[in-house]
Amino acid sequence: MTTGSKAGRRVEWMLTLPSLLWLVVLFVIPTVLVLAISFRPPTPSGGVGDGWTLQTVLALRNPSYPVIVWRTLRLSAETALICLFFGLPVAYLMARSSDRAKRVLLLLVIVPFWTSFLIRIFAWKVLLHPEGVMKQAFAWAGLVAPDASLMYNEGAVLLVLVYTYLPFAILPLYAAAERFDFGLVDAAMDLGCHKFRALLNVFIPGISRGLATALVVVFVPALGSYVIPDIVGGPGGEMLGNKIAQRVFVDRNLPHASALSSLLTVAVVVPMLAGLALRRHRVRPGGVK
Amino acid sequence: MGTDTGQGFLRFEGVSKAFDGVKAVDGVTLSVRKGEIFSLLGPSGCGKTTLLRICAGLETPDAGRVLLDGRDITELPPHERPVNTVFQNYALFPHLSLWENIAFGLRVKGLPRQRIRDEVDAMLGLIQMTDQAHKKPAQISGGQKQRVAIARALVNRPQVLLLDEPLAALDLKLRQKMLVELDDIHDEVGLTFLYVTHDQGEAMGLSDRIAVMNNGVVEQVGTPGEIYETPGNSFTAAFIGDTNFFEGVVKGAAGDGYSVVGVDGFPCEVVCFNDRPRKAGDQVHLSIRPERFVVSLQPAEAGPLHNQVEGIVEEMIYLGAQTRYRILAGAHRLSVLRQHSRFLLDEKPPSWKDRVWVRWHADDGYMLERFRDSDRGLLPLSEQA
Amino acid sequence: MRRGLFPRTVTALCLAFFYLPILVLVINSLNGSRYGGRWGGLSLKWYRLLFSDERIWLSARNTLIVALIATVVSMVLGTAAALALHRHRGRLQDAHYALVFTPLVVPDILMGMSLLLFFVTIAAPLGIVTITLAHITFCVSYVAMVVLARLQDFDDALIEAAHDLGAGHWTTFRRVVLPLLMPGIAAGGLLAFTLSVDDFVISFFVAGPGSSTLPIQVYSMIRHGNPPVINALSTLLLILTVAVVWSCEKLMGRNYADSSRT
Repeated sequence: MTTGSKAGRRVEWMLTLPSLLWLVVLFVIPTVLVLAISFRPPTPSGGVGDGWTLQTVLALRNPSYPVIVWRTLRLSAETALICLFFGLPVAYLMARSSDRAKRVLLLLVIVPFWTSFLIRIFAWKVLLHPEGVMKQAFAWAGLVAPDASLMYNEGAVLLVLVYTYLPFAILPLYAAAERFDFGLVDAAMDLGCHKFRALLNVFIPGISRGLATALVVVFVPALGSYVIPDIVGGPGGEMLGNKIAQRVFVDRNLPHASALSSLLTVAVVVPMLAGLALRRHRVRPGGVK
Repeated sequence: MGTDTGQGFLRFEGVSKAFDGVKAVDGVTLSVRKGEIFSLLGPSGCGKTTLLRICAGLETPDAGRVLLDGRDITELPPHERPVNTVFQNYALFPHLSLWENIAFGLRVKGLPRQRIRDEVDAMLGLIQMTDQAHKKPAQISGGQKQRVAIARALVNRPQVLLLDEPLAALDLKLRQKMLVELDDIHDEVGLTFLYVTHDQGEAMGLSDRIAVMNNGVVEQVGTPGEIYETPGNSFTAAFIGDTNFFEGVVKGAAGDGYSVVGVDGFPCEVVCFNDRPRKAGDQVHLSIRPERFVVSLQPAEAGPLHNQVEGIVEEMIYLGAQTRYRILAGAHRLSVLRQHSRFLLDEKPPSWKDRVWVRWHADDGYMLERFRDSDRGLLPLSEQA
Repeated sequence: MRRGLFPRTVTALCLAFFYLPILVLVINSLNGSRYGGRWGGLSLKWYRLLFSDERIWLSARNTLIVALIATVVSMVLGTAAALALHRHRGRLQDAHYALVFTPLVVPDILMGMSLLLFFVTIAAPLGIVTITLAHITFCVSYVAMVVLARLQDFDDALIEAAHDLGAGHWTTFRRVVLPLLMPGIAAGGLLAFTLSVDDFVISFFVAGPGSSTLPIQVYSMIRHGNPPVINALSTLLLILTVAVVWSCEKLMGRNYADSSRT
């Protein structure tokens, strides 16, 4: 096309420069700043001091942090796996439905997105509240002790994480299942597979990219969760995001918050790079795109 | 070929299947003999693929039974049936290598490793793709995919191999080549083939017998020759090849299955054949294939079983091996094919606006058992004068 | 093939799971008792309380201003970015692509944190302006993603045809590309607007004292305020969103139907 010509080159720059500049200034520089400020001392007034120090980074060795980091990773992984477990049958059913039913189901999955994120979390706070419907119902049914709390623990955090991210998992799974050629399942059954085995052997590998996408779009944002543990978690359900917010809003120690953010960045980047490397490795022998 | 050995190896008895209230297959009864290539031929939506999927167990019929070698397999799930399918778009597993694809069925059966290796390697040898075994389906051509799909089915030693439009995704030249290969494979393994196609050329060239299907019912079963030469009804006559339809009334018998028919729109009466004798006064429909007509610029001497009409050339299309004429004769526009058998120096070929005589033998006109006016629409040059 | 019992059961359970909390919320907004465990009689008192709270309406106004500016700016930036990514290849676009798509996978809290540090470092006063800048930053990527997806279906021969008929770059863009791309840009804008209105975490980090948006207001009410009032507010917001999305579908239904037929 026009790429080679001088005019084309000018058009390319005109189209590229606005977003490029904007994102360099407001995304790249701030991100680098986070890493840099991790090595700055804090000032008593809540600002960033001059000079360089390893003090804040070393403070991450505080024994309370490994527990929180581990809990963050574990809760995110559990959320991703649970979302996959429930999302797969839903995506399968949607892909195999008639066009009309597909539209209806898709709408039903998307509608929860329309409600505010905070309000959905708040709805669970109301349900799980000691005087809330769910707590009362469970106590009445004898499932929990009347004085037990459904809220302010890890379980509540996991429940609301799954609630929040399940639609995010269903959509890429559905997109992959929709493109999947179900004739392959017929072929596997024709070659002697029981239906369940046919699905396992053919359907699951066939939508592997959708599975990977679903895992990433749940796992990564879950790592950065802050509001959910903040509202339903309590001290036993704190995640890395809460610690960052505490350092910013409670102690006003920006360098410490930066160090924690850098840690979270590493936690986000490592699994994504691993996923990319794994995909590239798997694809290369085939040589297909 | 033998008619009694293996009669009804695969049998459909009154099989029906409807989707959302629309009948895809409507009371089909068919017998496929052991070792033959049997084709289901018909336009898209005629129910042929549904019938094949019922045989594979991928659809359950609403009524009727399917028998294989005397055993009722109607309720058997697909993975327990001794049949395998070559799917229309091959349905090769994209995440598995060609070798793994072929080994799939044997793996599922849990055969010993060494045995699987031997059988798959032998199969790869048969389709001459041993050196490509490690490739993924996306890396090979359509014709190669086709062969792998066949190998993947054959390696399981099915009692019947089901082929669902296996050549539809290939281009013309490759299709002809694969047709020969399929025939060779059939000769080599001697299996029963149930072959679904909408392409009459494929069905004619490959099959021992053909069932012509339309709207979920079987219109006619027979060898390719029978289907073409003696079509039982207007659908078979019009769907396979080109033809001319005429309507008329029987005036009298002419002996040996021949009848004299007064054709509407022809100035003279014609002599025509059917094994079933007709009474005088019967309303009949005739089908005459375009290549059966002989066109010449001079009238020929009349014989006892010869018919001749006079006409004007309205249109001629040169097709290389032959020329297609449209000739106005009486109230009919005849579709006529003239073979270019030799370079005639002495005889000028008829051309546009020439006055010509069209002749045909009584055996070339066939009286149809059933006629539907709508089947005229299937003809390439459908409008009649 | 029959659809199994298992997928159907799971789907039914998931849908119940999705809608149960929202349903309870709506019912509770009409419940006279405070925590919804008991039915305290049908009451509109929470709605009355809601309408008398001035801070809510002030923050709602802020939210709308931020969302409108962020939507318009990100639509322009995102569309330009998508066009550049679609039409040009090379190292510049590789870098551009990475830059546009990384923000999509960065957790909100990291983005909020880094922008806060940036604004603190350049000593910008925190407030509506910083919130708007932050919103544009994450909205650009979403708009670019939606428009780029739409461009994949775009027939490049149309551009060549326009050039062939004598149209220059600008005329081609204005008369051919833009009209065909409009449904995609509108969809991207709608997404940007929704995300901006809904954003809490990033806004919370870069908001200054007194510059509250609706989600920030809701958050402080959840933490310190009167839960039933939030029920009432949520119900109103829910009705509003459904109405907006529904009318958008009605207005753009034709375009959507066209775009889905590829």
